Amino acid sequence: MGFFDIVAAAMPWSESEAEAVSGGSSTESTPANSGGKGEGEAKDPSGPTPDDKDEGGDEGEEKEEGGEKEEEEEEEEEEELVDPKETFEEECKESKACAPIKHHFEECVERVTGTTDSKAPHEDCVEEFFHLAHCATQCAAPKLWAALK
Amino acid sequence: MLARSRLLVGAVRNAAVNTTKRAASTSAEAASPFKLNAAGTAATAVAIGSMAWYYHLYGPELHAMTPVEEGLHPTKYPWVHAQYNKTFDHQALRRGFQVYREVCASCHSLSRIPYRSLVGTVLTVDEAKAMAEENEYDTEPNDEGEIEKRPGKLSDYLPSPYKNDEAARAANNGALPPDLSLMVKARHGGCDYIFSLLTGYPEETPAGAVVPEGLNFNPYFPGTGIAMARVLYNELVEYEDETPATTSQMAKDVVEFLNWSAEPEMDQRKKMGMKVLVITSALFALSVWVKRYKWSPVKTRKVAYARPQMGGRRGH
Repeated sequence: MGFFDIVAAAMPWSESEAEAVSGGSSTESTPANSGGKGEGEAKDPSGPTPDDKDEGGDEGEEKEEGGEKEEEEEEEEEEELVDPKETFEEECKESKACAPIKHHFEECVERVTGTTDSKAPHEDCVEEFFHLAHCATQCAAPKLWAALK
Repeated sequence: MLARSRLLVGAVRNAAVNTTKRAASTSAEAASPFKLNAAGTAATAVAIGSMAWYYHLYGPELHAMTPVEEGLHPTKYPWVHAQYNKTFDHQALRRGFQVYREVCASCHSLSRIPYRSLVGTVLTVDEAKAMAEENEYDTEPNDEGEIEKRPGKLSDYLPSPYKNDEAARAANNGALPPDLSLMVKARHGGCDYIFSLLTGYPEETPAGAVVPEGLNFNPYFPGTGIAMARVLYNELVEYEDETPATTSQMAKDVVEFLNWSAEPEMDQRKKMGMKVLVITSALFALSVWVKRYKWSPVKTRKVAYARPQMGGRRGH
């Protein structure tokens, strides 16, 4: 059956045929099948499959930080989803590469929130925030794309 | 030829300098080397000076807008569908359409997309028909000239949330939610910009930033004050393929869907590009062989030189 599906998909007139089949099992089965395949393919590179998760929970905890964080995410998945973008960007903000930029931003926040002098010129930390956000997203982008489907 | 004559002139001049030098030395006054190099030094100084002046006038780049007004430039994300040899991920398009329908469609229209174009790329025929029938459209005038309502067909376009732009503005505090059909093409940064915008709302605005009444802070929006509040939150939709619906996953899917809606021909276009490469390379290979064939008589020609007979005399 699988082979004939492939042949049918390769035929140029398969589209019109799909139209002719009315809401039956065949039209519904094809997207479902392809969906299943897509999931399998996408999950493999992204990291542990459900089987791996359980094993990782027992052994992988002390191995490395990455494993721990993934595990945390998986635990929380059942209760509440955590956006991988936020976790990666938080990690990136703490990283060495973004440290000077983060320092600048924090300094600015302190300066701006600290001033009570009404005569002082108005200042905001938007530019510092831009630099920090740029640094964090730049560093998180490839990791995020590996984690997302 | 020119070079040689210049050399000659140089030699002559050198000789002249030498003679004058000798003449000067005889008059007991040594010519300083500065005098000899004065013209060259002056020309060099003028050249450097003009460069410096030019840089002073035009060098530093001026930005009319502050970085805040410009907005934060989006990070480049490694979109798979943007690669030359990749197509849209149609499973992602399906998810993205779901996000559009359940979240974006309450404010943003997608008026250039008919249901028929979703068939085969995002939905099956039956799904698209069922979805079209959920909406009502005007009929042609009947015998009495009345315009009635009928359920939608595949040839109908996706319904817009508002009757017109004015209604949209009135419902959204004066801000017009733009039509999303061509949005990926309509903004600098395309997919990256929209993804960053959707996911980039910070939890708290940076210290000192002033956000006008009714607007929200988003670093990626030029001016940072955007009327649209953050809409995507984790688990806002439930995907039928059980992909975890995180904010960034939903944003990624809906952006890929919007890229499809802006460039539904992308897959075909890349296929056409491939065809062009195949055909031109085949034709080029063919032309190489044809050239070889056509030139073969010329290339294999043998030029024989028969020495003329010098009237019986031998040697010269």
